[in-house]
Amino acid sequence: MPFIQLLFRNRLAAMGAVVLTVILLLVLLTPLLPLPDPDVTATADRFQTPFSPGHLLGTDHLGRDQLSRLLHGTRLSLAVGIAAAAIAGFVGSAIGIIAGYFGGRVDNMIMRGVDMLMAFPYILLALAIVAALGPGLMNALIAVAAVNVPFFARNIRGITVGLAEREFIDAARLAGMGHTRIILSELLPNVLPVIIIAMSTTVGWMILETAGLSFLGLGSQPPQADLGSMLGEARSALISHPFTSVVPGVMIFLIVMSINLLGDGVRDALDPRLRSGALSRPRATTLVQRNDPVPAATEDLLAIQDLQTQFHAGNRVYKAVGGVSLSVSPGECLGLIGESGSGKSVTALSVMGLVASPPGVITGGAVRFRGDDLIGAPYETLRRKRGDRVAYIFQDPLATLHPLYTVGDQLIEAIQSHHAVSRSAARDKAIRLFKAVRIPNAESRVGNYPHEMSGGMRQRVGIAMALANDPDVIIADEPTTALDVTVQAQILALLDDLRRDRGLAIIFITHDFGVVGQLCDRVAVMYAGRIVEQGPTQSVLETPAHPYTKRLIACVPELGRGRRELAAIPGLPPSVEALPPGCAFAPRCTKAQDDCRSGQIALTGSYPRAVRCLHPEEAIG
Amino acid sequence: MASYILKRLLSAIPVLLGITVIVFLIMAMIPGDPATAILGAYATPENVEKLNRSLGLDAPLVQRYLIWLGNMLTGDFGRSYSLNRPVLDEITERFSATLILAGVSFVLCSVMGILAGVVSAARQYGLADKAITFTVLIGISVPSFFLGMMMILLFAVRLKWLPVSGMYAIYGGGDLWDLLKHLVMPALALSAVATGVIARLSRSAMLEVLRQDYIRTARAKGVPERRVIMGHALRSAMVSIIPVLGIQAGFVLSGSVFIEIVFQWPGVGRMLVNAILKRDLLLVQGGVVFVAACYVLFNIMVDVAQSLLDPRIKT
Amino acid sequence: MKLVKWTRRGVCAAVGAVMIAGSLALPAVAQTPPGVLIVGQIAEPKSLDPAAVTAVNDFRIVVNLYEGLTRYRPGTLEVEPALAESWTISDDGTEYTFKLRPGVKFHDGTNFDAEAVKFNFDRMLDENHPHHDTGPFPLSFFFSAIEKTEVVDDQTVRFTLNAPYAPFLSNLAYPTGLMVSPAAVKEFGADFGRHPSGTGPFTFAEWRSNEAVVVERNADYWGDMAGSDVVVFRPITDANTRVAEMLAGGIDLMVEVPPTSLSQFKGDGFEVAQQAGPHVWFLILNAKEGPFSDVRVRQAANYAINKAAIVNDVLEGTAEVAAGPTPPAFAWAYNDELEPYPYDPDKARALLADAGAEGAELTFYVTEGGSGMLDPIAMGTAIQADLAAVGLKVNIETYEWNTFLGEVNPGLEGKADMAEMAWMTNDPDTLPYLALRTEAWPDQGGFNSGYYSNPKVDELLESARTAVDQDERARLYKEMQAIVQEEAPWVFVANWKQNAVTSDRVQGFALEPSFLLHLQGVTKD
Repeated sequence: MPFIQLLFRNRLAAMGAVVLTVILLLVLLTPLLPLPDPDVTATADRFQTPFSPGHLLGTDHLGRDQLSRLLHGTRLSLAVGIAAAAIAGFVGSAIGIIAGYFGGRVDNMIMRGVDMLMAFPYILLALAIVAALGPGLMNALIAVAAVNVPFFARNIRGITVGLAEREFIDAARLAGMGHTRIILSELLPNVLPVIIIAMSTTVGWMILETAGLSFLGLGSQPPQADLGSMLGEARSALISHPFTSVVPGVMIFLIVMSINLLGDGVRDALDPRLRSGALSRPRATTLVQRNDPVPAATEDLLAIQDLQTQFHAGNRVYKAVGGVSLSVSPGECLGLIGESGSGKSVTALSVMGLVASPPGVITGGAVRFRGDDLIGAPYETLRRKRGDRVAYIFQDPLATLHPLYTVGDQLIEAIQSHHAVSRSAARDKAIRLFKAVRIPNAESRVGNYPHEMSGGMRQRVGIAMALANDPDVIIADEPTTALDVTVQAQILALLDDLRRDRGLAIIFITHDFGVVGQLCDRVAVMYAGRIVEQGPTQSVLETPAHPYTKRLIACVPELGRGRRELAAIPGLPPSVEALPPGCAFAPRCTKAQDDCRSGQIALTGSYPRAVRCLHPEEAIG
Repeated sequence: MASYILKRLLSAIPVLLGITVIVFLIMAMIPGDPATAILGAYATPENVEKLNRSLGLDAPLVQRYLIWLGNMLTGDFGRSYSLNRPVLDEITERFSATLILAGVSFVLCSVMGILAGVVSAARQYGLADKAITFTVLIGISVPSFFLGMMMILLFAVRLKWLPVSGMYAIYGGGDLWDLLKHLVMPALALSAVATGVIARLSRSAMLEVLRQDYIRTARAKGVPERRVIMGHALRSAMVSIIPVLGIQAGFVLSGSVFIEIVFQWPGVGRMLVNAILKRDLLLVQGGVVFVAACYVLFNIMVDVAQSLLDPRIKT
Repeated sequence: MKLVKWTRRGVCAAVGAVMIAGSLALPAVAQTPPGVLIVGQIAEPKSLDPAAVTAVNDFRIVVNLYEGLTRYRPGTLEVEPALAESWTISDDGTEYTFKLRPGVKFHDGTNFDAEAVKFNFDRMLDENHPHHDTGPFPLSFFFSAIEKTEVVDDQTVRFTLNAPYAPFLSNLAYPTGLMVSPAAVKEFGADFGRHPSGTGPFTFAEWRSNEAVVVERNADYWGDMAGSDVVVFRPITDANTRVAEMLAGGIDLMVEVPPTSLSQFKGDGFEVAQQAGPHVWFLILNAKEGPFSDVRVRQAANYAINKAAIVNDVLEGTAEVAAGPTPPAFAWAYNDELEPYPYDPDKARALLADAGAEGAELTFYVTEGGSGMLDPIAMGTAIQADLAAVGLKVNIETYEWNTFLGEVNPGLEGKADMAEMAWMTNDPDTLPYLALRTEAWPDQGGFNSGYYSNPKVDELLESARTAVDQDERARLYKEMQAIVQEEAPWVFVANWKQNAVTSDRVQGFALEPSFLLHLQGVTKD
C-alpha cells in the first residue's frame, strides 16, 4: 500500500498533516499577506479583543496587531524549533553513532559524559548557557539545542549498538571498508529514519522550551515576535486580558499537536508490521461476523463445522480458513497437516477465539464443544473453557512462555484461573504436573524463568500447562517443530501416553507426515484454507488420494529405505487473498486438467475417508 | 543484588565528580559577578572589584575548584552571597519541598501516564483511546507555567476550592491535609507533560507487547482479560517504560523550576534560577550537585527496579 | 468485557474523589484570621539587616522592625524625631548632636543608648571594626560624610562630618540608618540578617525560607502599639500569582500591582491606594560617543518618545510624565516651571536632520525588571517603536536586573547608546549627585554611566549639598534642573505613583511618599 495512503488511513495523523500544512502555508505566505507591521505600536489601542475592526485577533499590550504578530511569530518559532531540532539531532546523533559504533572505551567515556549532562537539570543548563552567551533568540536556540543533545545521543546510541552487531556491518569490515565509510554508507542509512522522526517530534518540544526560556526572560529581543515571547509578554495581562495569552497558546498547541500526530502516523506507516494490520492490539476474543445460518449441533466432543476465518486488512480480505469441518472424540488424536500458510494454525486458534483480531474475523461456521457453540459465545463463557476444557500447546515455547514470570508461576496461574485453590496447593499441583511431563528436579525447576531452560524442557512446561486443568481436548500446534529428533520423540511419546491414560482428545497440527504417523488415529490434510483429504492415518499414508497429499508424503524421509528422492513441491501455495477458481492446488499439480480450474470442487468420499479432487491418485470409496 | 547496587553506586562517583566540573566551568564562563548582585543598584566598579577580591574570586580557576571540592567533601558548601547564609542550610531547608513536589508529581505522572497508556492500548482506536490521545497531547503542548496559571484562576480564584500558592497555609495549617491541598495543583501542572510522554510511550509499548505470543498463551490458559492486560502485558511493557521513567524523573525535577515560580513553592528549583541570575556561584554549584546526585541515585534505583523486573538482565 | 466495567468504575471513583476533595477543600480556603495581616511582597528579602539591604522590597520589612534616629513624617518626606528626641546642628553644619529617647529597648532586651548608635555607624563605616565583616554595606556612602561618632553620654551622641552635608538628617531616616541591636550582631555575626533585632513596633518571629517572614506586635514598644498581632510578609515573585492570591483572599495587602491587573480590584472588597514618590524613570544616553554625543540628537529623543502614551496606556496611569531629573515629590526642590518635552516627532526629525543623525543605529539596554523599573520591556519596546517612527533604528538587548546593572553601572562606552534606569531616593541630592556630575563617571566610582559633563551642574550640585539653608538649596537644584533638562543627558520618561491594594478588612493603611511600608497603624478585622 502506498505510504501516503497508509498514513492517511490513520485519521489522527491525517488531521495532524492537514493542520500542519495549513500552518506552514500561512507562515510561508505571511510576507505576502496584507498584514499590518507586527512591530508598530499604538498604545491607545491596546488589548483590543479579537474580532474588533481591523484586528481579527485583537491587539496586544502595546496595541500591536495580534494576527500579524502571531503569523510572524509562528514563522520565527518554527524556524527556531526546526533549527534547534536539526542542530541537536545532528550533534546528538553523531555522538550516539560514534559511541554505538566504536563501543568499548569510547562508548563508555562518551556515555558517562552524556549521563553527566543528563543529570544536570536541563532548564538550568539552558539558563546557564544563555547567561554565558548573552541574550537573544539565537543564543536561546543554541541553549535549547545543546540541552537536547544528550537525549539524541542516548537514543541513537541504543539503536546503533543494535545495528553494529549485525552481519552486514561485519561484512563491510571484512571487506576492508574504513570506519568513516562504514558509518556513512552502511550505518547511517539505517539510523536515519529514526533520527528524522525523533527530530520532527522534537520540533514542538523545542518551541515549548524556548517559550519556557521566554518565561524566565531569556528569549527573543523586543520587538521581535516569537510564540514564546508572545506568551511571555502576554503573561502579565493573563488575568485581565487572557486572550493575549490564548492566541499564542493555541498556536503552540496546534503546532505541537499536529507534529506529534503526524510523527506518530509516519512512524506507524514506516513500520512494516502495520501493513499487515498487526500493529493493532488483538482483542480478547476473535471478532465474529456470521451471516450464514449456524450448522446444527453434533454428538462429537469437539466439532469444527464449516469454519470460515478471514483476515481483513484495509480493503483486502484474506480467506485463511475457507470452510473447514473436523471433529474429535475422547481419546482420539486427529492430525492436521499442511504447509505453512495452509490455514491449519488459524483453524486451531479459531476454536477458542484466539485468532488475533484485528485483523482476524470469523465469518462463518461453528465450533461446538459438547454441542455448545463456542463461536460468538460471550467472552466469559469462552474464558472459562479456555485452558480448562480445551487447552493449547504452542510452537516455540521461548516466545509463548512469558519471559518475566517463572514457569511455576505461569503454571500456577493456569490452575488458579479456573480453580479457587490456594497458592501452595496450586504449586504442589504444578510440581506434580512437571513430574508427569518428566521434567527432572521439578521442585527446583518451578522457580526457573523460561530463558533458563532448554527448548525441550520449555516444551514440557507448555505441555504441563495444557494439562493443568485436566482438559478434554488439547490442541497442539506444531509442538515439536523447534526440537531435535530425540527430544521430539520423547515429547510425542509423552503426549501419546497422556492421551491413553487420561482419555484426552488431541488435535495435532504439523507439517510433518512422519510425526502424524507416530501419533495420530486420523489425519486431515489442509491446503489453501480447505481440507483436501482426510481419513484414517494408515489409509491416507498408504494410499494418498489427493496429488498434494502424495507429494507431501514424498517429502518425508523414511528410515531404513536408504536414499530416496525427496521431492519438494515446486511452486508456492497460493495467496489466500486471490484464490484461483476451482482447485487451489491446480497451478502446482502435474495432473491438473481444464476442469480443475473452474467451479467449486466438493469433498467427496464416505466417512472417514474423503478427498477434494476431480482426478484423485487413488479412487476412494 | 547487593553487590550490583554497590557497583552502581561506585560508578556514580565519577559521574558526580564530572558534574561538579561541568557546573563549575559553566558558572566560571558566565560573565558578571556576585558582587554586583550583593551590592545591588549601588554597585560601583570599584566596590565590585574589592568585594570580588574579598570573596576569593580572583584566584586561578583550578585552585578555586579544588578548594570548593575539598570543602564540599568535608560538608562545607560555602556561603551563599545572595542569601547571606550557608549554602547547605538553604538547600536542606528547601530540598525537601522540591522532593515532595517532584516526588508526588512523578508518582502521579507514572500512575496516570501508565494507566492512560494501558487503557488507550486496550481500547485502541476506540473512543477512550482518542479522548486520551487528545488529552495527552494537550498536556504535552501546553507550557506548564500557562497550565498552572489557568488552574489557579479556575480552582483557586474562581471556584475557591484550593489555595492559590505556597506549600502550607501561611498562618495556621501545616498538617498533612494542608500540604495536600496546596500540592494538588502544582503537582498536576508539573506532571502534565511527563504524563503525556509516559502515556504515549506506554500505549505503544503495550500495543507491542499485546501482539506477543505469550499474551495469546495467557489468553489460551483462560487468564481473565484484566489480568492479561494489567499483569502479563503491563509487566512486559514496563521493561521499556521504566527506563523512560528515569529520564522523565529528570524532566519533572527540572520542570519544577517553572511550577515553583508560578505556585510560589519554596523549593530548590526557583532558588537555583535566582542563584544563576544573581551569579551566586556557590549556591548554584551546591544546588546542582544536590539535584544531580538525586537524579543519579534515582536512576540507580530505576536500574535496580529494572533488573528486579527482568530476570534476563545480568546483575 | 471486564476491563470496560473496571475502567468505568475507576472513572466514577476518580470523579467522585475529586468532587469530595473539592467540597472538603471549601472551608479550607477560609479567610485569613483577624489580627493577622498578610502582605504580598515581590521577592524574598535578601537579609533583614537594614545596613546590608538595598531593595525597596527589603525596606518594607525592616522599617517595621527597626527605627532610626529620625524618620519621615507620615505623608511627607520631611524629617521628624524618632529614636532621637531632638538634635542640634553646629553653625558650620559639620557637627550633629542627638539627644536620644530614654527607656527604649531593643527586642533582645538590651538598652538602646549612645553606645549602640556608635556601634551601628562604626560597624558600617570603620573597616577595622570587629563587626565590619557582617557586611557588605552597599549604601554606607549615605554616611560617608561622617568622620567620627562620639558618645557624649548615655543618651547623647555626636557626629562630626568632614564637610557640611545637607541630606544627613534625611539619610538617617532612610532604612540604611536604622538602628540594630549591637548585642544581636555580636551574637549572630554574619547571620544577623536572619536574626534581626531592633526597636520597632514589631519583633521578628520567624523566617521560613521563601515562604514567609513573620513579625509579631512588640508588646514593650515605647510608642503606640501596633494594630496587628502578627504581620506575615509573603514573597510572591510572580505578579500573576500575587494578583491571584489577592483576588482569592490569600493575602490582605499587596504592593506593586501590575498596571494591567488594577482593573481587577476596582470592585467591592478591595481598596486601591496610590501615592506619588521621589521616583524617576529615565533613559541614560551615551553622551560620550555615537549619535547622542550631539545634544540635538538627545533632545530629538526626548521629543520623539510619546511619554504620555507610556504613562497613560502602558502603565495605565500609574505614573506621570517626568519633566526633568528631579521628581515633583521633592516639592521644595522641584522646579515647577519646567514643562516636559512635548511629544513632537516632527521636531525630532528636524533635529535629527540638523545633526545629520537620520537613520542612526542605536543599541538600547533594557532590563527585565528591577527596583522601580515598572514595566521595562513593554516601555522599552514602546520607546523603540517611537524612535523607529522618527527613523532611528534601535536594537534592544534585554538583561536580567543584576546582569543589567553589571553592564550599565561600569558605563555604556563601547557597548550601548542608551539604557533604561530608575531611581528612588530620599533626597533631591542623591540622584543628580551620583549620576550627573563629571566626578561621578563610572571610573571615579559614580553612576554617571552616560558621561554627561557640565561644570556648571557640577558646581551647583556641590554647593547645594553643603548649603545649610533649604531655600538656598532649592534655588540651586532648580537651576540645575533647568540646565539638565535643556541639555538632555537623559530622556525623562516617568515619575511613578506607587500603588497597593488592600482587602476591605484592612483599615488604617496608607502609602508613604518615601516608598516605605509602615504597618504600625494598620488593623484588620
